[in-house]
Amino acid sequence: MKNIVALCLLFGFVPAAWAGGYAYTIRPSEMKAKPFSDAQTLTTLPPRSRVEVLTRQASWTEVKTATQTGWVKMLSLQLEKSGQGKSGDNGLSALFNVASTGRSNSTVTTGIRGLSEEQLANTKPNPQALQAAKKYAVSREDAQRFAAEAPLKARSVGYLNGGQ
Amino acid sequence: MRMNQTIVMLYLLGIVLPAAAFDFGSVDWKKAAETVKKVQKANADISEPQEIQLGEGIASNLLGAAPLLDNPAAQQYVNRVGRWLALQTERPDLPWQFGVLDDNDVNAFAAPGGYVFITKGLLAQMNSEAELAGVLAHEISHVLRKHHLQAIKKGARTELMADLANEALQTNGADPRLSKLVSAGTEVYARGLDKNDEFEADRMGVVIAARGGYDPYGLPAVLQTLQSINPGDSSVALMFKTHPALADRLSLLDQQMSGHFDSLENQPDLAPRFFKALGAGKK
Repeated sequence: MKNIVALCLLFGFVPAAWAGGYAYTIRPSEMKAKPFSDAQTLTTLPPRSRVEVLTRQASWTEVKTATQTGWVKMLSLQLEKSGQGKSGDNGLSALFNVASTGRSNSTVTTGIRGLSEEQLANTKPNPQALQAAKKYAVSREDAQRFAAEAPLKARSVGYLNGGQ
Repeated sequence: MRMNQTIVMLYLLGIVLPAAAFDFGSVDWKKAAETVKKVQKANADISEPQEIQLGEGIASNLLGAAPLLDNPAAQQYVNRVGRWLALQTERPDLPWQFGVLDDNDVNAFAAPGGYVFITKGLLAQMNSEAELAGVLAHEISHVLRKHHLQAIKKGARTELMADLANEALQTNGADPRLSKLVSAGTEVYARGLDKNDEFEADRMGVVIAARGGYDPYGLPAVLQTLQSINPGDSSVALMFKTHPALADRLSLLDQQMSGHFDSLENQPDLAPRFFKALGAGKK
């Protein structure tokens, strides 16, 4: 985690994950001093406790109550719904010109393109775009190189129940 | 047709009585036999080249609905993450093809044969490469398990699927039967897959991301973020309509992942590489 923070600072951005958002606990949740099961338990938050969300590390989310900061299991939280439009802007919205709410490029009056149910029903093939997409396809070797750069290490993990 | 179907079912169950002993009236036995053959063919898997051909048509339709994002760096990055994940699966050598769609909707799509698209609207909700990996791995799982092919079959296109399995289609894409199947395949995105297929793709997706060396909690983290979007927002309308409730998906992942990933808690989420590759800092 410290490395990530350092890298983030190096590249000039703040670590990811819901900074400024709020969440509710959906069950009694142990709040730990560190993101580990065997870390010291600071307190147990009752269900429906409102907490400020700071960051995530694997299955743990760092949260802040009125009096304490600590780690709870990510999946014991439900994020508060934003009042309008979308929340959790990661900074890419402006770059990709993503509208804060609604569709900007797909209304019936400005064009028939878009991914709504009706628009998908009336779509026409776009083989040129498909050819353009194929230019970005990546070889096995390129993907392996990309993983090694991270570095990402492949490991053997069995599918969970029923997933074959 | 209904009569034929009844006969076919009886035939498959092996309980059709001799015609003399049971009067079906003016039954077209020849046609019934043909239908039986077609159903048997359809129940056999279509070949991989056919699956790819069908998926290509469906992918072309998706790109007709939403164009590719004009950002070569983002397209290349998403392809690299996706291809690395695909290498961790039982179908590593499909012609895997990933793409970012220039659309504000929050959604992702897989098509048969290895086509996976994600909208820029969904990308803008993500916070790390592990989160992107989780979503791509979910879509990859739909391809691995041929969920869309099953959905097309369920949509009363059994005979068309049988034609495809029968290799009766021309390969130049002009065959009207292929066009119908491609249309049927595109309709699946409006209708949605079976909800158990979505749950399966979730539990396979977290495993595939973990195999790729990523923090396996990327997918649940994205689902949790999506929970915070106002369900009345038009950008999530189709995704919410065609998928099981986020609370149910998260609850199942919570149960299924619990205890299985403890040793993988330190796998990286590669947030810095994500933001660097996409050319943005968090605002």
